[in-house]
Amino acid sequence: MAHSSSPYGARRIALACFALLLVALFLFPAQIQGLLQYLGGPVGYVVRVPLEAIASIDAGIAERWEQYVALQGVREENQQLRKEIEWLRGQHSQLRESAAATERLTALLHFKEQAIPAMVAAQVIGRDTTNRYRAIILNKGESDGIKPDMGVVTPAGVVGRVVKTTGASSVVLLVTDPNNAIAGLIQRTRDEGIVEGTQQGLARLKYIPLLSTLRDGDRVVTSGLVGDFPRGLVIGTITRIDKEEGALFQSAELMPEVDMSRVEEVLVIQTSYGQSLKAGAGSNLLEKPAP
Amino acid sequence: MKFLSYMILVLLLVPLQTTLLPHLSVWGIKPDMGLVAAAIVGLLAGELEGLLVGLAIGWVLSLFSAGELWLSLLMNGGVGLLAGFLGRHVSQVTAISLGLGLILVSLASGLFAAMTFKSLNTSQLWWMVESVVFPQACFDGVVGAALYWLLSLRFDLRRLRTE
Repeated sequence: MAHSSSPYGARRIALACFALLLVALFLFPAQIQGLLQYLGGPVGYVVRVPLEAIASIDAGIAERWEQYVALQGVREENQQLRKEIEWLRGQHSQLRESAAATERLTALLHFKEQAIPAMVAAQVIGRDTTNRYRAIILNKGESDGIKPDMGVVTPAGVVGRVVKTTGASSVVLLVTDPNNAIAGLIQRTRDEGIVEGTQQGLARLKYIPLLSTLRDGDRVVTSGLVGDFPRGLVIGTITRIDKEEGALFQSAELMPEVDMSRVEEVLVIQTSYGQSLKAGAGSNLLEKPAP
Repeated sequence: MKFLSYMILVLLLVPLQTTLLPHLSVWGIKPDMGLVAAAIVGLLAGELEGLLVGLAIGWVLSLFSAGELWLSLLMNGGVGLLAGFLGRHVSQVTAISLGLGLILVSLASGLFAAMTFKSLNTSQLWWMVESVVFPQACFDGVVGAALYWLLSLRFDLRRLRTE
């Protein structure tokens, strides 16, 4: 017998504790999980100290690596980026023209202006503790006004949505996780669908109407109809279309716009366009009753 | 003193699992150090401490995961408890036997977790088993065995287990 000093007492207590926990989780699953999640709020502050310390050391090492070791190919990259800047300048001037025209038309048609959503910036300090989910951990939590279901983006596009928070951190389920679903829209054809992650780390737009004329290279953006994302944020680009015989819908594989393995800073959308629009529309109606 | 060391272990497991281990992952798979730690504590300190430390590890790690809290809680707590029972009934625990045990436990817990996924069909479940659950179980077994072997070089684990 290995543990000779406390042979049966500890075993009985351990078994009783485990059985009690099982029964409690079976009888009151939501309450127990809610309680543990609530208790986890303050724990987040304690864990934040070593987590942020190690994350900053990690980021420092990565930065040194980027600066000194990984300089190979920078010249080629520089040239390519210069070309891209030239191209983007052209695009920019075109878009400015379009924006001016849109502004004129908006004023003419008395459209309500799109409210800019309130966002909070956060740093990525880690990845999901398990291998089963594709998620990142942010250094901002409940105390910064972050709540579950808020959308998370970068200037490049959609990253995911918040699924869990503690006092000082939050967990973001990436758009590439199969458990995630975001309402999407093909920018060119305006056909709507649901974007879900795939197990291979990509995304898939599902429930596209059969008559849609989508093609490879089409961009998919958020539709803004469901969830906390404003309309028009880039999700990804269509790389493959799947059209099965007899199926009611077609689906398409997407290459996400954001490289999820390299995300370092993100923006959490605290007030979505939809919410602000609803609030705005409400006040508008009060101010100007329909004729 | 023991409580403090367990607390430090639990607190350090979070940055280890979320920040450091992703750099050491093989084909995107990293070992579950929470499971390994719960098993070793259970083995060395008995079932009650194994259970309590396992529960604490499961709870804290689940706060930093998109997964279900109850699953992490029960798996880590259960592994601590099971390791405590084994530690009491097996007189000679070697690094290899611990590694094999961890592979089995990790496989079982991974399969259970995969089956709780609502939207998986059979082919997706099989894909998850062969590309996530099985490699992770092997990884957990190897890391657990290596850690136990390193500990046995530094400490007299047989004496620790009988204290």
